[in-house]
Amino acid sequence: MKSHRILPLFAALVMFGSLHARAGDVKIIANPSVRPDSITVTELRSIFLEGQRSLNDGSHVEPVLAKRGPAHDAFLRRYLDKSDSALRNYYRTLVFTGTGLMPKVLASDVEIATYVAATKGAVGYVSDDVQVQGVKVLAILQTGTNAGRRLVTRVEPDYPETLQRLQIGGTVRLSVAISAKGTVDSVQLLGGNPILAVAAIKAVKQWVYAPAPSPTTLEVSISFTPNK
Amino acid sequence: MRRQTLILALLYLGAVQSSLYAQDFKVFNRVVQVHGFASQGFLYTDQNNWLTTHSSQGSAAFTDFGANVSMQITDKFRVGVQVYDRNLGDLGEWHPSIDWAFADYRWKSWFGVRGGKVKTVLGLHNNTQDLDFLHTFALLPQSIYPTDLRDATMAHLGGDVYGNISLKHGLGDLSYTGYVGRRRDSSHSGYAYFVMKYGVNNSDLTALQYGGDLRWKTPLRGLLIGASRLNQQLTDTGTVTLAPLGTIPFSAVSKSDWTNQFYGQYAAGRVRLESEYRRFVHDQTVLNGMLTTVSDVRGWYVAGSLRVTKPLEVGSYYSRYSITSVVGGPLSFLAGSLFPQQTDTSLPANHIYDKALTARIDLNRFWNVKVEGHFMDGYGLSSYPMGFYPQVNPQGFKPNTNALVLKTSVNF
Repeated sequence: MKSHRILPLFAALVMFGSLHARAGDVKIIANPSVRPDSITVTELRSIFLEGQRSLNDGSHVEPVLAKRGPAHDAFLRRYLDKSDSALRNYYRTLVFTGTGLMPKVLASDVEIATYVAATKGAVGYVSDDVQVQGVKVLAILQTGTNAGRRLVTRVEPDYPETLQRLQIGGTVRLSVAISAKGTVDSVQLLGGNPILAVAAIKAVKQWVYAPAPSPTTLEVSISFTPNK
Repeated sequence: MRRQTLILALLYLGAVQSSLYAQDFKVFNRVVQVHGFASQGFLYTDQNNWLTTHSSQGSAAFTDFGANVSMQITDKFRVGVQVYDRNLGDLGEWHPSIDWAFADYRWKSWFGVRGGKVKTVLGLHNNTQDLDFLHTFALLPQSIYPTDLRDATMAHLGGDVYGNISLKHGLGDLSYTGYVGRRRDSSHSGYAYFVMKYGVNNSDLTALQYGGDLRWKTPLRGLLIGASRLNQQLTDTGTVTLAPLGTIPFSAVSKSDWTNQFYGQYAAGRVRLESEYRRFVHDQTVLNGMLTTVSDVRGWYVAGSLRVTKPLEVGSYYSRYSITSVVGGPLSFLAGSLFPQQTDTSLPANHIYDKALTARIDLNRFWNVKVEGHFMDGYGLSSYPMGFYPQVNPQGFKPNTNALVLKTSVNF
């Protein structure tokens, strides 16, 4: 009887989460040759806008763009702060003044996921609900008012078994307050499936960052991909 | 025939967009990209002929194109070259040139170097002024970006240092460029064409130039402000034909030409607003000090554009240009009839005030069409040219000119 009451609530939460994911969430994927599991928004912008071809640890990176679509729109809005036409003009400026190259542009999430899996250093983005194989999903660290913090200890979240069995994934976005010493002081949910969020928050509270002169607040995205 | 072929090619390239998207291939396992662009315009004016064309009869002598090849050699090292050609009235005349050709080593995000022939960063649009498809307007504000004088600021043979720095405490980003090099004007440029009227035949017009640009992407989303400085030491050699003396060697130097430019741009959603101010001081000594001219050229504009629908953008600007000239030296009495002292900027000969209205239609991602109107007060021809030339206006100048500009461009 009790389980009959809980089940609709659980289903509603799951539905909410997956619908929320379809409404324009995006995850950043990379070829496994890219060594870090997380990068900052500043690094992501440098890869896509400034022609940065290697990360601080020496990993080769190259950007892959979508031609259009909800993931493309969400990516531009959230990370690059440019409209599609402004982005195209930006790349054309680079190309025709000799200050950069045009990134690879592909038509669909499937094409991007396939290309990223097969191409050393490729970094792209797909809709959150797309299942990807042979790539890693990068956590995106939002640099706050202070410089980005280097992650020293990362604990992976436990994927809730029921959701994994039901092939339900998604990205959870969290606001993480980090002390000067590097421990996580508090975690606030910004968006994502509430059940996945419980697992993500539990994991992130155990993360440890490198010490810094002052406390920092970062935005962290954690993706849950079934069949990974 | 050549123009008709180019127009047909433009239409074909614009229509067959699927062939325009990705033009890259690999050489020695390195990505090589090939890109190109072309534009064709039409000018009609109701009074003075403009930009060395016979625009009062309608002129389609307004064509340019370019193509480039770039290759990423390593993660930090890239090389490329672009060829550019144009025909604008009596300028360019289908003489292709290397637009840029350089090697670029980007060590870190905050520091890179490039060397070769490099586009000069000066204000918001100097290095992109040929790239019609990037701009709302068919003609950028001519007070700052005179298309007939593009050679004077476009590129230098030398080197740049550049970088981007993200400021702490959420204060935005700073981008800097510093450069030094030599510029060489084409004999088919506006200045060489202008002095030809006075019997001067340039064989070499070159300048040492150095300067820099600093721009700040402010914490206020969409707001960019910046400043540029350009110093030039110009050497102009050739011959001059003077009635009593015949043809004699000609030389002119200017050791302290400078340009200051300040700019701001705000973009939010469908709206973009921008404004720039430029002051250019040209201090020239001709024929070993027999004649001196100091020209003080000032320009500014305010522009706005609105993306009405996905394919339609409209825009307008007000552009204001003025020039004063002071002539001195032993031969000034002789030159006075050609270049009288010009200090009153209210005279039409010493200013151009231009109101422009434009509509841009993007037919697809690679092909656009623009319709633009200009309403100009003055013709600004003093000791330094600015769009209006005596060669194509032998009857003299009228104070006002209205112009219709039609332009289409493609890129891939």
